[in-house]
Amino acid sequence: MNNQGMKQNNRLVNALFLAPSLTAFILVVIIPFFMGLYFSLTDWNGAIQDKINFVGLKNFSVIFSDVKFHYSFLVTTVYTAANVIVINLVALTLAMMVTSNIKFRNFYRSGFFTPNLIGGIVLGYVWQFIFVNAIPGFAESMGIESLTSSLLGKGSTALAAIVIVGSWQYAGYIMMIYVAAIQNVPVSLLEAAQIDGANFLQRTRAILVPLVAPAFTVSTFLTLVNSFKQFDVNVSLTNGGPSGQFAGKVVKATEFLALNIYNTAFTRNRMAEGQAKAVVFFLVLVIVSLIQVYFNKKKEVEM
Amino acid sequence: MRKVLSIILLVTLVLSLAACGTTTTTTAAPAATTAAAAETTAAPAETPAVEKIVLANNKVEIDEQLKAFAAEYSKTAGVTVEIATTGGGADYGGNLKAQLQSGNMPDIFVIEGPAGYDDWKDIIADLGDQPWAADTDYAYSVDGKTIGFPVAIEGYGMAYNKALLDKAGIDPKTLTNFNAYKAAFEKLDGMKADLGIDAVVSMAASTATGMTWVTGLHNFNIYLTAGLPYGDTTVIDKLLAGEVDEARLTQYAEYVNMLFQYADKEVLLNGNYDAQAQAFAAGKTVFLHQGNWVDPTLKTLEADFEMAYAPHAPFVEDTDGVLAAPPSWYVVNGDSAGAEEAKKFLNAIATTEAGHSYMVEAAGMIPAFKSVKLTPAVPLSKSIMEWASAGKTYSWQQYKMPSGFGMDTLGPIYEQLASGAVDTAGFVELIKGEVATVPDLLG
Amino acid sequence: MSPRRLNLLILEILTIILFIVFMMPFLMVVLNSAKDAKEIIADPIGFPSNWGTLLTNVKTIVTSPNINYVPSFISSIIITTLSLSLIALTAAMGGWVLVRSKTKTSTFIFMMFVAAMVIPFQVVMFPLVAFFRMIREFTHIPLLQTYQGMILAYIGFGSSLSIFMFHGFIKGIPLELEEAATIDGCTRPQIFFQIVLPILKPIFVTIVILNGIWVWNDYLLPLLILGTGGDIQTLPLAVANFVGSYVKKWDLILTSTMMAMLPAIILFIFAQKQIVRGMVEGSIK
Repeated sequence: MNNQGMKQNNRLVNALFLAPSLTAFILVVIIPFFMGLYFSLTDWNGAIQDKINFVGLKNFSVIFSDVKFHYSFLVTTVYTAANVIVINLVALTLAMMVTSNIKFRNFYRSGFFTPNLIGGIVLGYVWQFIFVNAIPGFAESMGIESLTSSLLGKGSTALAAIVIVGSWQYAGYIMMIYVAAIQNVPVSLLEAAQIDGANFLQRTRAILVPLVAPAFTVSTFLTLVNSFKQFDVNVSLTNGGPSGQFAGKVVKATEFLALNIYNTAFTRNRMAEGQAKAVVFFLVLVIVSLIQVYFNKKKEVEM
Repeated sequence: MRKVLSIILLVTLVLSLAACGTTTTTTAAPAATTAAAAETTAAPAETPAVEKIVLANNKVEIDEQLKAFAAEYSKTAGVTVEIATTGGGADYGGNLKAQLQSGNMPDIFVIEGPAGYDDWKDIIADLGDQPWAADTDYAYSVDGKTIGFPVAIEGYGMAYNKALLDKAGIDPKTLTNFNAYKAAFEKLDGMKADLGIDAVVSMAASTATGMTWVTGLHNFNIYLTAGLPYGDTTVIDKLLAGEVDEARLTQYAEYVNMLFQYADKEVLLNGNYDAQAQAFAAGKTVFLHQGNWVDPTLKTLEADFEMAYAPHAPFVEDTDGVLAAPPSWYVVNGDSAGAEEAKKFLNAIATTEAGHSYMVEAAGMIPAFKSVKLTPAVPLSKSIMEWASAGKTYSWQQYKMPSGFGMDTLGPIYEQLASGAVDTAGFVELIKGEVATVPDLLG
Repeated sequence: MSPRRLNLLILEILTIILFIVFMMPFLMVVLNSAKDAKEIIADPIGFPSNWGTLLTNVKTIVTSPNINYVPSFISSIIITTLSLSLIALTAAMGGWVLVRSKTKTSTFIFMMFVAAMVIPFQVVMFPLVAFFRMIREFTHIPLLQTYQGMILAYIGFGSSLSIFMFHGFIKGIPLELEEAATIDGCTRPQIFFQIVLPILKPIFVTIVILNGIWVWNDYLLPLLILGTGGDIQTLPLAVANFVGSYVKKWDLILTSTMMAMLPAIILFIFAQKQIVRGMVEGSIK
């Protein structure tokens, strides 16, 4: 085989090797993505339609004056912020616990991680039972008046309930990231500090915090993006309810963005508007990612 | 080496084709089955052109009974009728759209009103020549063309516990206007301990438990049709133009507020369908705001007292009737090869004894056909049938509202009133505000 | 007792308490799966009066035509195994090519895969369904409500992260190995399958696990591609469809959730280390 033929042969192999994943990727992600950008500028209705008309930015002007969309945006942001804080606090606490000298630490570690293996839909139903039946039942038998009615019945407590479920599901996962970071801290360093007479708090502040900081950045963005995209638990736990009021309109108190997009398209049958909302959703995530890239770059420079 | 090479190349080729390869290999499958179907057609003389037709059912509660009837029918008809049921909370319309897109459009499917008709008008077959068409007042017709087979009649009003009303000395026949209800509620509320009830009314308005179909659709339809001639569209037409009948809406709001005031608060704000039925079944409330579809649930809950419907009566003037209509119609996919078989199956439901028995005795539905002589054994369905035979019914217009408007937009407003976050004036304003957006939603 | 030991004891007690709180939902599911509907309403937190009810409930779930547990379970297995093997294999092949061929095109393709990680599912989901329908119109290849469509979608959505991770790993494999093999007369496919693929084993496992948890639990994508109540249903779809009906039968709902959780938990018990490592690596990349 001559060199020329070999090269050609190689190129063919390359193409054949790349083709399956690339084809699937283009068919499933790239083409629909550009179609989506286009549909957001049309009167597309998703069903049988003879002709799709270009309407410019009309869908965007509709959704920007849609109070329910504003509210969804706001409540999703509040949820995301709460979730990021709670998850990271819980995860860090758990990580400290399971990396200490306590007995059965590996067993606990696995236990805390387990909720992460279960899908959000299934978890949502389980927790719905807990909030609607188990907790009120428990409160009644113990005579705790304040907990006898379901947390899901009021907007603020329903939001808290989703944060509880989200944190329960996700904290074990983030814990593992912190565990990996803590285990990278050389034991000798901690021991040396201990011998030098540094107490627990001093050791934590001087050695652990700086070394865990990169894990903190990773975890923050990971929980941020995932909370922002929350859908499954939202659907099965509250399905957007209960109702609330915002800017003179009645809204669904826990209808997060992903659910709002879904409902706009399917429940309210307004496909193009749903698509326009999805495009806005996408842009927000792009901005978050750019900030993340910026942080990572900065970190690399510092290191 | 050469041999190994060629094998590996072959393997990679197969692998690289895998992604789209799966598609090509299985495309052959449907073609093969249709070919098989064509072959078998040739064999026995009487065999119809298709082997199987599919009915896409959206009523979970009749799933088993319908499947049993279809199985019986399939034994003798020479065609297999398959029932595909989509759960009550699931998105039936969206699912149908997906099925159309994937080329698995069922032969018989369900429409619930004009929105469904508009979505599917291109493929819906004309059923005007079918024997059952002359036997019903409830078929779905557009421009004089009969296209929808009424699945059943459903109805709702205020279901009451006869024993409790008797004990309180209230005659349900008098409950035909706002003041009569007000007096009755006050009296019953004062006798809570004597009657052993927690509250007067059992109804649920929670968005979280998905009860907005009761408030935003069924209850709102009281505003749309109560007291009007059957099929009258004045109020709904106004709504579709973005306007409300303010006097009517204000009176109606007072009625809704009264229902909420006398309702069991826990059920109202946090309860689901079960909790609502349970309170009534256990004799803990006198009234239940549900339709006759609640019969089987009440039966499981062992509610063995006498019960029937009183009208919803929001106005000072009498409204003497329940709100009853076919909530859905079967339509036939005219593009399907199985269209003729589908028509035969619908006919079998409407015109054969087995069909009547399925509708009334097995599924406990109220048939929409005059020739059916059976009466439902369950009390609330029986009550609706009596109101219907007496001609005292008001129509259902709620499904003419834009998609999701009732459940998703109006429903949460009811919950706000129920929780006391707004008063009746606020409720009216909020509804007015949303109704004003309707033309935009339609445009 | 020394203060250090006391501290440790307090820490242990705190950990146990937190652990119990974390496990409580699972306990609730198991306890209430062994009750009938009435007992649940009467006592949602206590121990069941008769554990035999658990078997009755499981049997109901398995045989109920409303939930279709067995067919859904089989479909979930088929979809998950086929998707995972195809995602991992195609991404490994693609990732290798993208590392080893240093052309502008390959850099561009790689950047496209990476950039697409930002795209949320919501922005492509509606057009994806429309596009699948168009494909059927033009080629008569059905993708919606079929296994091939579902698996194709998973390969497409899974490829970005998987290629990115393979790419990072393969970069670290010294080129000398492959060069030596070339001199020995190995062809490129041979090099990949006989030399590179075995080295990829750890990252391969990571990718299978990462994608596995996603695919097994995924709800929205199967909902759009397969629909509800169709011939092919995954477990999350079947559970959601069952629970979605108006009547809340908690005994059966909780039993069905328990049975949906079980496969993942059992797998976790046997492959804990790999799963944890896989998921942590996936996040840090």
